[in-house]
Amino acid sequence: MTKETLFNSTASNPSPGSFPVELEGLVDENTVLVQRTLRSGQSIYHDGNVVILGDVNPGAEVVASGNIIVMGSLRGVVHAGAKGDTNAIILAFRLRPTQLRIGNHITRPPEDESSDPDYPELARIKNGVVTIETFNSVIR
Amino acid sequence: MGEVIVVTSGKGGVGKTTTTANLGMGLASHGKKVCLVDADIGLRNLDVVLGLENRIVFDIVDVTSGVCRIRQALIKDKRCEGLHLLPAAQTKDKTAVNPDQMKELCEELRKEFDYVIIDCPAGIEQGFKNAIAGADKAIVVTTPEVSAVRDADRIIGLLEAAELREPKLIINRYRPKMVNRGDMMSIDDMNEILAIDLLGVVPEDEQVVVTTNKGETVVRDEKSQSGQAYRNITRRILGENVPLMNLEEQSGLFSALRKMIGLK
Repeated sequence: MTKETLFNSTASNPSPGSFPVELEGLVDENTVLVQRTLRSGQSIYHDGNVVILGDVNPGAEVVASGNIIVMGSLRGVVHAGAKGDTNAIILAFRLRPTQLRIGNHITRPPEDESSDPDYPELARIKNGVVTIETFNSVIR
Repeated sequence: MGEVIVVTSGKGGVGKTTTTANLGMGLASHGKKVCLVDADIGLRNLDVVLGLENRIVFDIVDVTSGVCRIRQALIKDKRCEGLHLLPAAQTKDKTAVNPDQMKELCEELRKEFDYVIIDCPAGIEQGFKNAIAGADKAIVVTTPEVSAVRDADRIIGLLEAAELREPKLIINRYRPKMVNRGDMMSIDDMNEILAIDLLGVVPEDEQVVVTTNKGETVVRDEKSQSGQAYRNITRRILGENVPLMNLEEQSGLFSALRKMIGLK
């Protein structure tokens, strides 16, 4: 996706304000689209953003210098902002990573596994801490 | 022209060899000409499971290296007309055969047989590459354990990379009671991760061990649940539409009584 097409799509939109402000940083011409599920042992390394139309299974790895979006279940290891960009985000329809890294922050899900939400979530660094939030609330 | 199917799993001990033996026997008892190929060179088991160990003269390495012709190495099963075994070598290792030789071998075998079923070794190295080289279909065996499912997932990825599309899944050693208690992965749990067609579910059954140790196959055991599962899988391979069997059924005195008075 080029910058141009993105600008065009916003121009045709009568209310550009509905585009979530937090995602403005996603506008980047260097994005790859992965149209399959990443299975154990498979990996994607990309200098830019990565969008995956499928799942990321346990044992799979996605490393990007930009943002990572998974249109499916994210169960493997992900690293956004791998070159140190602490503004990078990770978004997944079901965010269940083995380990989640943004910039130089490394996190893993809590051991108790009490929460198992069935809606998209977004991970990013806020005040120096990796936070997970419901994606809907970001749009609003 | 026959079909070449590889039975694989990644992880060891999940029941590749048992599955291969039972599917072979199952297909052969439907009147098909079946050849089982043991690709686990150096750790051969399939002959033992079938009770044919003492009949081996030549093996797969003898065939690929030109010491003998395929016909001389094939062993006819003692119980079932139509079932043949090409045994693995025990004194060599996986490097004794290469993928091209396996391809050639499979092409030869498919001229003679309706089904060629290859028993793949555990792992993802040379042995695995040999085993899948000549196959046009794959069956992935897994058990309801996190490690086995993880390896199955890896294997499915490798199969897809090798252009072996749409592998089918067999879940082995399934224990419905443990699943109901939440102590074991359910069929749905595994489906969510692996996301491939389910060919069948084989319940954990002592009878599998009993028959295997005697060099027999459980698929011929009319009474056991696992035998029924393998017979169903066989029919699905043959293209029939067989629903998954009810694994919840109790096999105790009580249910036997209920069956007798027709409550079931």
